[in-house]
Amino acid sequence: MRHAWSTYRRLIGAQVRSQLQYRVSFALDVLSTMMFTATEFGAFALVLNRFGSVGGWSLGEVAFLYGLVEISFASMDMLFGGFDAPSFGQQIRKGTLDQLLLRPVSLTLQVFGSDFALRRLGRVASGVVVFGFALALSPIDWTLFKVLYLPLVALGMILFFGGVFVIGGTLTFWTVEGTEAVNVLTYGGSNLIVYPMSIYEEWLRRLFTFVIPAAFLNYYPALYFLDKPDPFGLPEFASFVAPLAGGLVFLAALLFWRFGLKHYQSTGT
Amino acid sequence: MSSASSMTPILFAEIARRSVRRHFAYRAAAVAGLVTNVFFGLLRASVLLALLGDRGSVDGLDAKALVTYTGLTQAMITYLSIFGWYDLMNTVSRGEVASDLLRPVSFLGFWLAQDVGRAVAGLVLRGATLMAIYALLFDIFVPTDLRAWAALLLSLGLALLVSFGFRFLVNLAAFWSPDARGIGRFAFTLGMFLSGFLMPLRFFPEWLQTAAKFTPFPSMLNTPVEVYLGVLKGRDLTLALLTQALWAAALLLLARLVLSRATRKLVLQGG
Repeated sequence: MRHAWSTYRRLIGAQVRSQLQYRVSFALDVLSTMMFTATEFGAFALVLNRFGSVGGWSLGEVAFLYGLVEISFASMDMLFGGFDAPSFGQQIRKGTLDQLLLRPVSLTLQVFGSDFALRRLGRVASGVVVFGFALALSPIDWTLFKVLYLPLVALGMILFFGGVFVIGGTLTFWTVEGTEAVNVLTYGGSNLIVYPMSIYEEWLRRLFTFVIPAAFLNYYPALYFLDKPDPFGLPEFASFVAPLAGGLVFLAALLFWRFGLKHYQSTGT
Repeated sequence: MSSASSMTPILFAEIARRSVRRHFAYRAAAVAGLVTNVFFGLLRASVLLALLGDRGSVDGLDAKALVTYTGLTQAMITYLSIFGWYDLMNTVSRGEVASDLLRPVSFLGFWLAQDVGRAVAGLVLRGATLMAIYALLFDIFVPTDLRAWAALLLSLGLALLVSFGFRFLVNLAAFWSPDARGIGRFAFTLGMFLSGFLMPLRFFPEWLQTAAKFTPFPSMLNTPVEVYLGVLKGRDLTLALLTQALWAAALLLLARLVLSRATRKLVLQGG
């Protein structure tokens, strides 16, 4: 375990050093990832300002949803980038995965540490800014439990989306084309849960609550933190299953990954 | 080398035709992309409808128009390469650009022809298909008279020229800077915001709408969308199309100018 950790640290360290080599380039990259969040949330905020509220949620309350997703998703993207279908699919196509297989280090660990983009810290930072904005606009009645629970909610989302990245990456063992559809769950799912679930049509809301447990990751915890009633009348514990839902999806993804590895046949390139 | 006259319409059409065929080859990827595009359109429609609430219409856009807007913007992602386009930049960083410049055809024309092919494939495979799926799922607005369709076609064509001019210029940055990709990401993000891709420009505060008017971005996406929705009429319509044409001409001229500087630099370096 300690050996694995030091290998991971070295894999990441080398990438971080090389990315910091060109300071201007790095600064620009960070700036443009921050700008992405700024324009996306900015456009929504400017329009919401005219309309007042969306589905009964104020700007500050939506900022809570948005900020928390942004922080979690960007952190996940930084950690799990190697499993993202486009980059992992490329490794299979180019045959570099076979090189990794020859090394005496766990393949999963190598893929895990293969695409660490430090510039994504820019998006984490924007997420923090939006979340700060939320706290300023909609003050929360903090309790010790809330302070302890908040990072677990973020962890739940990191595990959930990380799991979907791993599933998408595993699918490229069989098909390289077509994995863009996994984006519906990753980018689509994260985009879906930055808004209150009440704005969606019933079939969509049910799908992302009971089939894909995305609503439990952010919407239900937010109801608890912001002291809002649940319009759909789920039991109170719905607000507290975020880490569990994320953990289960992640576990299933790891099992699927193992299965995929066992059946992997090189393209021979 | 930059003798732009050395490209016949036949050659242009042939390059464009081959580009269409190349882009039609990735069908599975197109289907997967389509699924994603429709899903995001659905999310964006939900947000706009929730914002509209029980107001009948805001700034001339009612529920039907707003749903149609989300379909149109999603349908134009591939057509206009809204999320970014780095093809030219890649040939510069790989050094292939040197041999491309030696071709006996106009460099700008060569890329424009390829881009027209890419865009047409995108418009058919992604754009039209997406709108057809949208029509099945939602009650969307469809222009009925022939003149509206003619205006739409003209506006779409001009939008592509504006978009190409802008993307080509951004990519030329690669001749000067190893950080061109970062510059590109920055520029395309700004474009998404000011072209009305994220939210209808009409919903933005007055000052921001005015600021956007001084940029070519509304001419890329906002104008064809408003032409389709029929919210531009008479003089406003003519003015919008004229603005598009002016931006197209200005950007393409600027692109030629910057390109000739870029190639001179390449020669100096013995690239």
